[in-house]
Amino acid sequence: MPVDKNVMIEATDVNKEYRRAGAIIRALIDINVSIKAGEFIMIQGPTGCGKSTFLNVLSGLDLPDSGKIIFDGENIARAKEDRLSKIRRQKVGMVFQDFNLIKTLTAVENTESMLWPTVLSNKEIENRAIAALRDVNMLERKDHFPVEMSGGEKQRIAIARAIVGKPRVVFADEPTGNLDPESEKQIMELLKQINRDYETTILVVSHRDNVTKYADRVIKMANGRIV
Amino acid sequence: MPRLWSWGVKMLRREKKMFAIFTLIYTILIFLNSFFIHTTLQTGAGQTALIYIGIFFGTSLLLSYFYAWLIISRNKRIFATLKCIGWTNGNVKSLVTGNILYTTFLGFIIVIEILFHYAAIMAYLGSPTPILIDLLPVFASFGVFLLVQLIAIFLGNRRVLKLRPMLALKRVEA
Repeated sequence: MPVDKNVMIEATDVNKEYRRAGAIIRALIDINVSIKAGEFIMIQGPTGCGKSTFLNVLSGLDLPDSGKIIFDGENIARAKEDRLSKIRRQKVGMVFQDFNLIKTLTAVENTESMLWPTVLSNKEIENRAIAALRDVNMLERKDHFPVEMSGGEKQRIAIARAIVGKPRVVFADEPTGNLDPESEKQIMELLKQINRDYETTILVVSHRDNVTKYADRVIKMANGRIV
Repeated sequence: MPRLWSWGVKMLRREKKMFAIFTLIYTILIFLNSFFIHTTLQTGAGQTALIYIGIFFGTSLLLSYFYAWLIISRNKRIFATLKCIGWTNGNVKSLVTGNILYTTFLGFIIVIEILFHYAAIMAYLGSPTPILIDLLPVFASFGVFLLVQLIAIFLGNRRVLKLRPMLALKRVEA
């Protein structure tokens, strides 16, 4: 089957089940979706509909029980853990609701941490981190620790960390879930700007309706299915 | 790997309280081990000295494993986040290994420092026996401590393998 080079992620017949307290929960049921390079996708749905599981399997954090996930031309549905780590390091950026910055590291060190396991020189790592902090407009706070920052600023640093490796795709799980409306607007505009400037594919999980305007396409989920 | 070790050390040193407590514990253990080995060598292998050496090595093994366990437990979310952003299990293990070995090495250096200063002061005061512990028992203690650390690192690192990156996505309770 020919591979469409414009397609960044293609999920085919993806299923995922969980066992919780003896009961089987079908988190993803026959998911079929195709995401093009450079798209800005919003995944929405009520709590427990499977949107975070969907994000996890697309990003290689979790494996589906069945089906195929072609990520940038490679099936990651059956990949080994170290291979998935490598793919995430080279092609993926992650943004979390709780920011997940390391409190003992400064902004620039947190940004650099993504690149420490690579073969890049320390100077190159620092230069890239500085450039990423400039992109998110946080260069003047580079020597500050997370505890000295607001929620919006922490999320900007987390986004800098996500883009410092020049990823093909950025996955964001409720990136504005802990932010006030003004910070939410700034973060969404920043993600849109990254999407526009670097043609990075962006996938955002959000339960808020007011952020859908930033997306090229909205994928709605309910009870483990795309609706 | 050296880069990950050095960042592990840097991160550890910023966690001042835990770092200081374990460095102190390791220093005391290395010192006491060395002292009992020294005594055994000087006076012959008395049963009491051998029992003390056994107790201190057993204690150091337990403490080392506890230290590795503590480092991993306290930093579960950090390690899960690092795995999410592309660190392999091996990368995370390097960070933990750097932390533990650095603390051990520092304990050893402090013991050497104390012994040199003690010898200098005693020599200055004209003591006929300025040396409290010979260097050989100190190096022997350090060698065995390193071995103990490697066992603790091996056991502790098995927990790193079990750590799932998805843990990083779990919400922090307010």
